[in-house]
Amino acid sequence: MEDKNDILLKQLFEQAAQQQIEDNGFTERVMMNLPEVKESRVRCYTRLWTMFCVVMAILIFWLISGWDMIEGMMTGGKHMLINTIEVFMLTAPTTEIEINPWTVVLLLGFVLVFLPYQTFRKLSATL
Amino acid sequence: MASISDIALVTQVAVFHNKQAFDQLVRKYQSPVRRFFLNQTLGDEQLSDDLAQETFIKAYVNITKFRGMSSFSTWLMRIAYNVFYDQVRSKHQTDDIEESPTVMRQTAQTGDSNIKMDVHAAMALLKPDERTCITLQLIDGYPIDEISKITGIAENTVKSHLKRGKDKMANYLRENGYGG
Repeated sequence: MEDKNDILLKQLFEQAAQQQIEDNGFTERVMMNLPEVKESRVRCYTRLWTMFCVVMAILIFWLISGWDMIEGMMTGGKHMLINTIEVFMLTAPTTEIEINPWTVVLLLGFVLVFLPYQTFRKLSATL
Repeated sequence: MASISDIALVTQVAVFHNKQAFDQLVRKYQSPVRRFFLNQTLGDEQLSDDLAQETFIKAYVNITKFRGMSSFSTWLMRIAYNVFYDQVRSKHQTDDIEESPTVMRQTAQTGDSNIKMDVHAAMALLKPDERTCITLQLIDGYPIDEISKITGIAENTVKSHLKRGKDKMANYLRENGYGG
């Protein structure tokens, strides 16, 4: 609930809150005084090194026929995945897996409590 | 979270050093930043503009440090707050600003209304942190958590500053015939 002080001050500050200050050349003055931001030498080298690595990667990919390799891997991977699913479907109903309830609790605690807490803490700290 | 247009402009400045994009950011935020300083210095326009200019220059130089976790205005106001307190600390002028006759004279010369002068006189009674919290809430409309982020003061302390500041101002204003 707002007390009398809040109401009085809100009334008096209402006008000040709506006040817009005209630019009157302020932005131009700021822009004229902006320093030239020079890229550091380290950052420049990093950028050149990244570009060099990208060019080399593209070159090597082209020289060793990268597409063919990827296609082969994808085909092999697909067969492997199908085989694994087939084996699992055949054996799963007969396999007995012992599940330790404490392990489940620990895993759930890690995923549901610890990870979100750490993420939130790090995100807050980056402000 | 920062608005998309602000993020787009900040990205342009940070990655391509696009001064046109920074020009747009300055135009958009010059009014709240200058108003903040005007209230902290109790109406000293020249000092406010100098501090606002320093704020934008610092924002430009450090723009790559903006992570977008808060709004751009909150980040900018935090720089403004630091610039103001650096200035106060470096010149040991906290008391001078509060009682400076030139400040009051400049306020009168700019043709402010009596109400505005009384409000400034009431704000002069406050400690700097109380004044900052009061103006950020009542003039700039920031909620308590945002004020806490801008000033780096704990939320409960912000609440205390607001309560004490409002009491002091309201008492002064009532003694001068406001609020029935």
